[in-house]
Amino acid sequence: MTQPDPSSHDHSAPEQAGRLDPKLLEILVCPLTKSSLHYDRDKQELVSQQAKLAYPIRDGIPIMLPDEARRLD
Amino acid sequence: MSAQAPHGQAGEETHFGFSTVALQEKQRLVDDVFHKVARRYDIMNDVMSAGVHRLWKEALVTALRPSQTRPLSLLDVAGGTGDIAFRVLDAASARSTATVFDINGDMLAVGRDRCPPRFKDRIDFVQGNAESLPFETARFDAYTIAFGIRNVPRIDLALKEAFRVLRRGGRLLVLEFSKVHIPGLDTLYDTYSFHVVPQMGRLIAGDAAPYQYLVESIRQFPAPDDFAAMISEAGFRRVDYTPMSGGIVALHSGWKL
Repeated sequence: MTQPDPSSHDHSAPEQAGRLDPKLLEILVCPLTKSSLHYDRDKQELVSQQAKLAYPIRDGIPIMLPDEARRLD
Repeated sequence: MSAQAPHGQAGEETHFGFSTVALQEKQRLVDDVFHKVARRYDIMNDVMSAGVHRLWKEALVTALRPSQTRPLSLLDVAGGTGDIAFRVLDAASARSTATVFDINGDMLAVGRDRCPPRFKDRIDFVQGNAESLPFETARFDAYTIAFGIRNVPRIDLALKEAFRVLRRGGRLLVLEFSKVHIPGLDTLYDTYSFHVVPQMGRLIAGDAAPYQYLVESIRQFPAPDDFAAMISEAGFRRVDYTPMSGGIVALHSGWKL
């Protein structure tokens, strides 16, 4: 499963380790505020400005648990 | 955020098997159970149900009756190992998608590792709490949860969230242990549950305690009529259920109309 997707018709980046599916990003919201999230590619975090929380993405799996999120100041 | 707060108010209590515990404590204890059994979860299901859990899950897929022409968008909650999602995608039309959702990272890791290559670009895995879903409103055609709802501390919140994320015309399907109603089978089932299952857990998964919890939690779960009433209460219509295997399991259904 570390093989890149060989399908050539698909221009949206095939799933890679740590990469978030753009279609998934469209439907994800902050579980507390239900507000939209900003995807921080470098930090691999989904940021909820309203809740002031950054949810981590580990191995491509968003961890949408406030207890696991980093608090923003 | 009162209704969506992920943790119980101080002093709120719930069941953890036959013990009464604080709401917050239940989630930690349940996490611990599934952390211990994740890798051998599906094997244990096979052994404990003599393979019958496969028939129950097939019944769920049959009831869902996915369209062969329109793509289905499935949210499978507490579906970490991917078991239900893989079955539904196999039965659904080619562009159907599934989001596998679980509070337990170990169970999700099992599902991701097992995901057949043909589904790779149609399945996402998300970790979170069923009581406060991280999804936009009206995004899914179907919400399934198989043998997961009884582990959610506040079932009413989970059902409200299920209703929220479904589109109009969307379907809720809940597979859960139920109440055995056949004389003779009930006592046999009791003996099996309380004496055999924990010992099998010890032999196969290396620990009896998680399975002691599982059998106790089955008994604490509301009777099927009561659970159906909870589903209606959350806003679902045409709510009904089908008992299977003499009532060991029931398949509950509701529609967002």
